[in-house]
Amino acid sequence: MTRRVAWGLLLPALAFVSLFFLAPVLALLAGAFKVEGGAGLANFVAFFAEPLHEQVYWRTLRIALLATLVSALVCYPAAMAMVRVPPPWRGLLTGLVILPLMVSPIARTYSWIVLLGRNGFANSLLVGTGVIDEPVTLLFTEGAVFVGLLQLMMPLMLVSLVSALENLPADVLAAAQTLGADRWQTFFRVTLPLTQEGLIIGGTLVFTGCVTAYITPALLGGPKVLMLETLLYQKVNVAADPTAASVIAVLLLVTTVAVNQGLRRVGSVRRRRGRGAEAAAPGTPAVVEGRA
Amino acid sequence: MNRIAWPALAMLMLALVFLLGPFVVVFVAGFSGDETLAFPPRSWGWRWMAHVFTVEAFQRSFATSLVVGVGSTLAALALGVPVAYALARHRLPGQEVVRTVLTLPLVVPGIIVGLALLNHMVLVHDLPVRASLLVGHTALLLPYAVRVVSASLANLRPDIDDAAVTLGATRAQAFFKVVLPNIRGGIAAAAVLAFITSFNQVPVSLFLTGPGVSTLPIEMMAYMETSYDPSIAALSTILVVFTIAVVAATERLLGISRYV
Repeated sequence: MTRRVAWGLLLPALAFVSLFFLAPVLALLAGAFKVEGGAGLANFVAFFAEPLHEQVYWRTLRIALLATLVSALVCYPAAMAMVRVPPPWRGLLTGLVILPLMVSPIARTYSWIVLLGRNGFANSLLVGTGVIDEPVTLLFTEGAVFVGLLQLMMPLMLVSLVSALENLPADVLAAAQTLGADRWQTFFRVTLPLTQEGLIIGGTLVFTGCVTAYITPALLGGPKVLMLETLLYQKVNVAADPTAASVIAVLLLVTTVAVNQGLRRVGSVRRRRGRGAEAAAPGTPAVVEGRA
Repeated sequence: MNRIAWPALAMLMLALVFLLGPFVVVFVAGFSGDETLAFPPRSWGWRWMAHVFTVEAFQRSFATSLVVGVGSTLAALALGVPVAYALARHRLPGQEVVRTVLTLPLVVPGIIVGLALLNHMVLVHDLPVRASLLVGHTALLLPYAVRVVSASLANLRPDIDDAAVTLGATRAQAFFKVVLPNIRGGIAAAAVLAFITSFNQVPVSLFLTGPGVSTLPIEMMAYMETSYDPSIAALSTILVVFTIAVVAATERLLGISRYV
């Protein structure tokens, strides 16, 4: 294949992406920096001057961080168990974990409405057992959004950790034990450092997934518990404020890219300081990226 | 070594219940016979399963979702397969830049893509809403197509197209008669993954729908805001069963998990 032919094959896709993706997205982002008589950050200052906006921004980061930590704490031991499950069951388990990623996020989020609604399971249970007299509000709370996002994003962490643990060479663990390390020492000084890349990839996917989720905060948080994406929707369709919408778009993008790059850097710095052994680097399955 | 520590096993069980429990809940609620949503349902029946097929908004948006899903999948493959082939067979200066640019649609949140297309294509350049929906979905699916087809091409030795050319085929013939039949499985896997992604997509579509043009998930969210009956549970159940069937069939026929 000549170089001309190769570029010819790339050209349609590049032209398409430039015209229908890059150009409009850049134009939208540029709107955030446009101020009277030039460019500047005045729109961002004005945006954060509004207490509600600041509150929404921190809430988004807080919920995303909490979901990342909780999913790591639950999934690490779960992934350790999963890699030791014998083959016939193992395939089934992998399928059960991947499947939620393929199913409509609306179906997945809707179950929480069924569970947490006024006549939902939680309230029926609490009223039925006499814990409370009247149904309480569980939907449209920060807790509901957190639980919904955790459920939506957890498979990403689990899949990343399973693939990191799979790539962990068994003889390294055997060597640690031969050299007299006990179970905890083996875990903290060998297993955990060698699988940190799985944690970093899983953490990045969960965190950015939570920050950029729309369906869950829209259905479980509503206007009471706004997150960045639902606030953006409001700015366009309710407030008709395109500048604020552009500002939120920039915040969403900067936050996700910063977390992506920041965590990647942490990973590579640690790896260079690593003790010689090759870190188990999991490849992220395509199905895992860009979900929710 | 093969023993599983019980706390880890307990965590795995907990995670599975948490991940899969919601599906059971939706299934049960989907077979409710009640007037309004309650869990557990007070009566049972198929009535809401039957009802969702009669809702006009669902019928119309389902048709739109199918058209957009199939159209954007085909477009993403038409753009993405040549890219995957060129990158697999030729080392180009700046190919890392090309790769990065083509994965950007996965990095940029969908809601931004949707709003950008609305503001700078639909409103400024009079792009029809339906076309903008198709274009937005295509951009989103392109990275999947490139990635899955690339994985499939990586398993194919480059000398087989050279062999075909040596035996007298043109480059184009070598591609269509030798390479393409060998990556059929990867292309089919990419198509299934892309279609499901488009069909479930909400953020990109959010601003690109309106009266007349709407996708099924957007219509489901709108329905939820005004109605409290178990329709959405019934429809979700149907969609979940449908997705499981498609994924299981593709896995059995093509081994989709080899590529994704």
